[in-house]
This record gives sequence, structure tokens and C-alpha cells, in this order.
Amino acid sequence: MKNFIGSRALPEIQYHRPADMASLLALTGSLGGELKMVAGCTDFIPAIRSGKWVFENGLNVVDLKNVSELVGIREEGDRLIIGAATRLTDIAESESVQRSAPVLAEAVRQMASPQVRNIATIGGNLCTASPAADTAPPLLVLDAEVTIQGGDSRETVPLTKFFLGPGTTRMKPRDVLTEIRVPVMRENEAARRTRMGLRTAFVCSIISLAAWIRWDGAAIAAARIAMGAVAPTPIRLPDAENALIGTDGGPQALAETAERAAAGIAPISDLRASAAYRRSLAGTLTRRILDQCIADLRG
Amino acid sequence: MKVAVHLNVNRQEHDIEIDSRETLLEVLRERLGLTSVHRSCEEGECGACTVLVDGDPVSSCLVLAASVEGAAVLTTEGLKKGDQLHPLMEAFLAHHGLQCGYCTPGLLMTAYALIEKTDGQELDDARIRRGIEGNLCRCTGYMDIVKSIQAAARERQLGNWW
Repeated sequence: MKNFIGSRALPEIQYHRPADMASLLALTGSLGGELKMVAGCTDFIPAIRSGKWVFENGLNVVDLKNVSELVGIREEGDRLIIGAATRLTDIAESESVQRSAPVLAEAVRQMASPQVRNIATIGGNLCTASPAADTAPPLLVLDAEVTIQGGDSRETVPLTKFFLGPGTTRMKPRDVLTEIRVPVMRENEAARRTRMGLRTAFVCSIISLAAWIRWDGAAIAAARIAMGAVAPTPIRLPDAENALIGTDGGPQALAETAERAAAGIAPISDLRASAAYRRSLAGTLTRRILDQCIADLRG
Repeated sequence: MKVAVHLNVNRQEHDIEIDSRETLLEVLRERLGLTSVHRSCEEGECGACTVLVDGDPVSSCLVLAASVEGAAVLTTEGLKKGDQLHPLMEAFLAHHGLQCGYCTPGLLMTAYALIEKTDGQELDDARIRRGIEGNLCRCTGYMDIVKSIQAAARERQLGNWW
């Protein structure tokens, strides 16, 4: 059914709801025609309504929400393993995530709206691969990896190698993202994030960023900074990171880092914000979250 | 593609035939006549179509009806006892939590879930505003909505609730 002028109807759908990976792989291995794997549908349905995705000959919709192996959060040694079809709400409210990767829980809590978080999934956010994907900056600074299953083969890759361009990832058609593997944060580490948007909820971030630092007692031993909505994909900022590593994290080091962060991005001007504003925010907000990280380590 | 689905809506079991491309919004409104569920942006950006699925507020425009087989769906028709309004609705009436009423059913479902979930915790202004951030209202400016929800939470504490 159509709604208002310009809103497209959904195409003819053959709906499948596998209960486990074996059934899922049997489907992806055998179904003919166009196939789309969905979870929350919070990107899928709007993309069709707006005409971004068109399926002229109908399609197979394979719902991943019931695939038991893809849902849930568990701890495995020094890693948090998050099933790709885990709901954003469950990630935000998870005690494990709040304890071991609080920077991710905080980022997720601010995404979209409660109604969307109750159905959207972390895997969906990553696979849609918007340059502004809000789960990406925290996952990038925590050095997360993702596991991709293609038929019989399975590989785990760093998230830094996952995004190829706006809306594009290294996944091939019919590949399945199965889990996100996140190193657990340790005591001598701090991580913070923030984002800027035109309002509080329902925001497509005009910039989102996260920073992580490890303190060895005398200096910053390691640092990671990541941003979204300022480049064709979510990115790490190695040049800015190098301005921090080995320093005492004092005002001079932070100022230099913030300056390199602003210089190290490739923002565009669009209907939400100008490139100049994004660049300005990159510097200011990097400084802000680094200040918070240093305070966390001291406190 | 036609599919037979078994849905639990407002505590009633329904066996219906739907098209697998129908959203939960469409099935509730058009097949089950539950017109309190309002069609608005249809892209999950306003919350007017909010219903509860297993107690959680969701935007029904973003849910394929076939995917809620086995889940319990609740709309404002299910909050009423026959013609009797729910105390949450009475609170909205008493405290002017609505004007045109278009966002109201979605807001009521979000508010109901919020009050149930926070079970007796104090609901201050900030907590309520965070809880309803997924429901846009163009008429009220939200202040009276917040007051209505606070009043409803008090009613629940007094035992005037279901």
C-alpha cells in the first residue's frame, strides 16, 4: 500500500524465517532470484519507501531475528561477543556491555528512538554501512572484529577493513555477518564518545566520534580515534592518534591531536551541515572527549 | 505472496491470511480494524504508529506483520476495558496531554510501557522526555504530556491501574 505521494509500496515478498544457521545457510544456498537478509527492517523499509532500493521482480526476504546463533551477548576470555542480530536495546541495557565496553552502550543508547532500538540490530547498522553509522566509531576505537560467513567459509576481519565506501562493505551477496568481537576494556584504559545532531532523537549524526587511550603509568601507550559522517566510511585517524602516543596527555598534546583530527577528515557539505562546521566540530569534540578520557584515567 | 499468520493482538487470537509485504501497521488498521494505530511518516521517524510487541514499543510501520507471529501485540483498543478508558487515558484527559490527538495513541503505548518498565521509580521530567523521544507531537509542546504521564504513574502507585 502506498502512503503519501512519492512513498513507494513494498515489492512482492517471499518471507522466510529460519530458526538457526543451518536453515539460514540452506536458504541462502538454494533460493533463486533476489534475496535480502533483514533483521529490524529499520533501514530496509525506509530504503524501499524512498526509492533508494528498488526490487522490480519481487524478492526473498530472509528474516534473521530468530536465528538462534546470531542473537545474544556473551563473554569469551578477553572478548565480548555480540551476535549480529542482537537488538540495539539489548546492547544498551546489557550489563556485560556496560561493564566491558561502556562507550558502545552509550553510543547505542542515543541512536534513533526507543521504538527503533527495540527492533534494530547492530549487524544491520554495520551492514547498511552509512558513513554515519553510530555503532562504528566506538567499535573502531575498541579494535573490534567482525565474523563473516559465506556458505561454508568463515573469516574474522578487523572492522577497519570492513567498510569500503558509502553503503558498501567487503561482504559479498549472500554473506552473513554473524558476530562482532570486542576486546574487553581494561583498568588502565579509558574510552569516550560523543556526536552532534540537529536534535536529540531521530538524528542522522552530522559527526560522531570516539576515542580510546591506554595509560602505562607515565605516558599514553596507545591511542585510537574514530569518526563517522566525515568521510565516505567511518574512519580511524592515525595521524591524530600519533600526536597522542608517547605524550603525557597534557594540553599541548591534546591541542595538537585535535588540530590533526580536524585536518585528517574529508567532510562534505550536505543538507544537515557544512563541511566547515563538521571540520570545526571535529577539532572541538576530539578535544572534549580526550579531556574526558584523561579525567577518567586520573579519577 | 499470501501467508497464513497467527497473531495475538489485544489478548485475542487471530488466524488471518495476509500478504507477506504487509506491515504490522497495515494489518492492524485494515485487517483487524484497529484504527487507533495511525499512519503517519511510515519510515519510523515520528512514532505515531507505535504499538507494543511483547511489551516493547515499536514503530509498526517498520515491522513486517509476518514477523510478529508468536508475539503479543497491544494497541490502545487493548488498554480500554470495553468502553471504559484506561487510567493512563484519564490522566491525559485531566492534564491536557492531547490536542489534535493524532500522536496520542502512539504516545499512550510508549507511556504505558515506560510506566510499566519503571515500576514505581520516580519519573522525573528528564526521564520521561528520554522515554518519549521517539514520539513527535506538533501540538502540545510536550509539557502537558509529561504532566499526564507523571499523573498516570501516580495512579499506578495508588493501585488504580491495569
